[in-house]
Amino acid sequence: MIILVKSKLFSYGRVLVSLAILVVFGFLKIPFESQTEQKLKDKGFRDWVPNMSAREQLTQASFIGAIGGFRSLVASIYDLRAHEAFRDKDWGSVERFRKVTTSLQPRFAKHWDLAAWDMAWNAYAYYRSKSEFSDDDLELWRIEKMIMPSYLEKGLSFAKEGAKWTPESYRLPMVIGDIYAQKYNNPKLASEWYFKSSQAKDAPSYIYRAYATQLAKCVGMEEEAYKVVSNLYNGGKVRTLTLRRDMERLEAYFVNKLVQSNSINELKEMVKKENSNYIIYDAIATHYLGEENNISLAVNAYRELVKNPKAPDFYRRKFALLIARDPANEERAYGLLKNMYLSTPQIFRRVDLIELKKIESNLNIPLNEKLIKSDASR
Amino acid sequence: MTVENNEPIYNELNSKFKLFSPSRVMAIAMNTFTQLVRMKVFYFLLIFSVLIIGANVLFLNFTFEQELKILQDVSFGAMTLFASIFSIVGTALLIPKDIEDRTLYSILTKPVPRFEYLIGKLLGILFLVAVSLVLMSILFFAVLFFRQHGILAEEINQMRGQPTAEQISSLKENIFAQGLRLELINGVVAVFLKAAVAAAIALVVSTFASSTLFTIIVSLVIYFIGHAQSMALDYYFPEGDMHGAFQRFIAGIVAIIFPNLQIFNVVDGIVSGQSVPMSLMFRLTGLTGFYLFIYSFVSWVLFAKKEL
Amino acid sequence: MSKDLPTAVQIKNLTKTFPVPFKKEKVVAVDNLSLSVMPGEVYGLIGPNGSGKSTTMKVLLGLISATSGSSTVFGMSSTETASRGSVGFLPENPYFYKYLTGAETIAFYGKLCGLKRKVIKERTSELLNLVELEGARDRRLAGYSKGMLQRIGLAQALVGRPKLVVLDEPTAGVDPAGSRKIRDLIMQLKDQGITVILSSHLLEQVQEVCDRVGIIFEGKLVREGSLKTLIEIEDQTEIVLENAGSDLLKKITDLINQENGVNLIRSGRPRTTLETLFLKETGGESKDVRNES
Repeated sequence: MIILVKSKLFSYGRVLVSLAILVVFGFLKIPFESQTEQKLKDKGFRDWVPNMSAREQLTQASFIGAIGGFRSLVASIYDLRAHEAFRDKDWGSVERFRKVTTSLQPRFAKHWDLAAWDMAWNAYAYYRSKSEFSDDDLELWRIEKMIMPSYLEKGLSFAKEGAKWTPESYRLPMVIGDIYAQKYNNPKLASEWYFKSSQAKDAPSYIYRAYATQLAKCVGMEEEAYKVVSNLYNGGKVRTLTLRRDMERLEAYFVNKLVQSNSINELKEMVKKENSNYIIYDAIATHYLGEENNISLAVNAYRELVKNPKAPDFYRRKFALLIARDPANEERAYGLLKNMYLSTPQIFRRVDLIELKKIESNLNIPLNEKLIKSDASR
Repeated sequence: MTVENNEPIYNELNSKFKLFSPSRVMAIAMNTFTQLVRMKVFYFLLIFSVLIIGANVLFLNFTFEQELKILQDVSFGAMTLFASIFSIVGTALLIPKDIEDRTLYSILTKPVPRFEYLIGKLLGILFLVAVSLVLMSILFFAVLFFRQHGILAEEINQMRGQPTAEQISSLKENIFAQGLRLELINGVVAVFLKAAVAAAIALVVSTFASSTLFTIIVSLVIYFIGHAQSMALDYYFPEGDMHGAFQRFIAGIVAIIFPNLQIFNVVDGIVSGQSVPMSLMFRLTGLTGFYLFIYSFVSWVLFAKKEL
Repeated sequence: MSKDLPTAVQIKNLTKTFPVPFKKEKVVAVDNLSLSVMPGEVYGLIGPNGSGKSTTMKVLLGLISATSGSSTVFGMSSTETASRGSVGFLPENPYFYKYLTGAETIAFYGKLCGLKRKVIKERTSELLNLVELEGARDRRLAGYSKGMLQRIGLAQALVGRPKLVVLDEPTAGVDPAGSRKIRDLIMQLKDQGITVILSSHLLEQVQEVCDRVGIIFEGKLVREGSLKTLIEIEDQTEIVLENAGSDLLKKITDLINQENGVNLIRSGRPRTTLETLFLKETGGESKDVRNES
């Protein structure tokens, strides 16, 4: 004030006029400003509310920074702090800092993703390894029954809250799906979230496949799963190993169902009507192999089956392995299997490889020519 | 000789003199710009480069989302900081300095209306801020561009086996969605608009305070109030909570007199992937124009008859 | 002053008071001052520090407004910005943008005077030539000496071809050689018919260049008139000789002694009589006297 007075001797009337101008125009701008604020709020630019609890979460400087237009930067700083706390295995701090980053910038999906990851994977895994070294039963019980589940829940709740904030993004529903699939072993819920995630615009294609995988694990939902899996198998660009296995497993399920609920005659009737349905041939073959142990009839059925171009390639493997059961044809079958293995090794499951190994030893294939060198596992 | 002899001169003066001359304003603006440039303010670009390259190098162990976000946060943070400092300190440094050094005498004793001087100074500062922001943006965008391509290459490298074209394009889409995008320009514009209002605030303050330090401090206080005012309203007077009439009155006065600078903070949202509709950008630009006009006008009211 | 007299500058009953912070009374800087300057005249405004010279000039140039009274430049009120179109001003101890070169400084002020780009180029060279600064044309003002700054200030004041030039202490702090250069420039302006108002406390210089002089003391114009009439002592005659030998001087003395009623008051080198007058009018206090008390 002294500087003001000393500095210049100007008319106080002009100060009053200036204040009057500011007040009058201030009244004019306020509706425009609050309208703009509302629009910003609607567009998700005002998610963070600097209230009492926000003030308590942040340091003084961070709070001022967050108000002063550096909210995103402050969030990044807390992200780094969380990372540091993670390195120190200070899970309480990790949780606290993750809460700050997510509340400062709730529309940045990665914040939620990292928060869920730190809780449901990192903290969870830390306590699980701790439990392995614990001799104290009470402590063990506390870790396994209280701490570990609580971190799973924390991770899940971060992910679920994040999914609410980022409805456009595939990410958080995917994380929830991951938690249900990998931590809770709940394929039903996992498949639901993966499906949700796969519907987002930016979703990578593997999420839909993860959905199919989880769906294929759901007991009692085989019909639905088969629709999804066979569509992916026949129409998708990528035929992953999991997809092949799921396809084979689901088809085997339907084959078993057919075999159990139909007599051989009924199956034969069916195949006449539905010539293109290769599964029925498999059912017939299974029937012959099961009750009558008639390999040649089963081979006949497979011979019909593999004529169908729609039949997945693993039937050719089944067919060849079946032929190999007859020692007379073992060598011919091995030739077929060898070609198959060299061109599409993916169609061989672990059990198939064991069988292949057996065939190789039956035929006394020299070691350097063997397809399966040592262990069958791949 | 009689007094009538002055008439030709009088008439000549009146016809020659233009009430508002853009060329005079530009002369003052460009002079201000030149002055600041020759004060070597652009050395700050070195600091800026170090900051963003540092942000780039230091955080290599993080996910690409974090990496790209930190790069953007540091860049936008530095841009906001530099733009605001240039606006406030530049204005506070130059106008009181002109008064102190009496350089102003030689300018105002030319046929230059005082508001032209004020507008010229303001434009000069804004021009400097704009040029700095453009230079910083070029640096920032270039680093971001190279980083996102670098990240893409690294991520592909880390994939098991031969990634399919589909995988690569999906990854690319994911990375680039958080990398260089048009939306960032809106962020830079918003940073500029806020700095422009800050410069206009400093202009008003410098017309009644001749000391540089006083101008800077008062302007910074107003700048801070401008950021906190809308929040202070919520903070101290939550909705539905009835408070004393006096407190409400004070809060109202603050909201009326001070600009709401919080409105310009859209960078946080932009970094987290939101987009600002053009209509909102127009609103912000309009609001800035309004503030520039009012504050220029008020500073002229204060400055027009100031005894120098 | 009669209304009918030709005027470049007319100041009528000018009073300027400044409020004193936290006090009721006000400081009177200029008290009912009137003066006029005719076109083509070189007018010297002299007075001790704080007498109101600068305040009067500031009012004339519109830097401050009069509390009462009026001031016009070529018939146009000083409060009008347009009146500055005919004025060039050199402030006391001028300080320009030290980041600009000499040429840029002139060009900048030329633009403010509304000159065209092409005209500015010519005018810059012309003025730098005039004030003998062509050599420092592209040097920044930060490296200028005080005398050079004063001269670039003068060039700046002349850039718009003013009809009135106001110089506030044009030789303050300038060495004798520089001071002489400035004096020569003022004489050139006078030759071109440009009206000049200058304030100075170097009375010798004022005496050398001014047609008329006004003495300001405590805000009042205490004496004003043509230099000749102001410093003339009517009953005395001064003979100034050059290369006079002692023989000649003895002859003259003898001649004087022969005349009845004529006395030789003093002989020797001429002295600044203006200074005497100045000291008398401003209370007779010289620096030495003040130091003793």
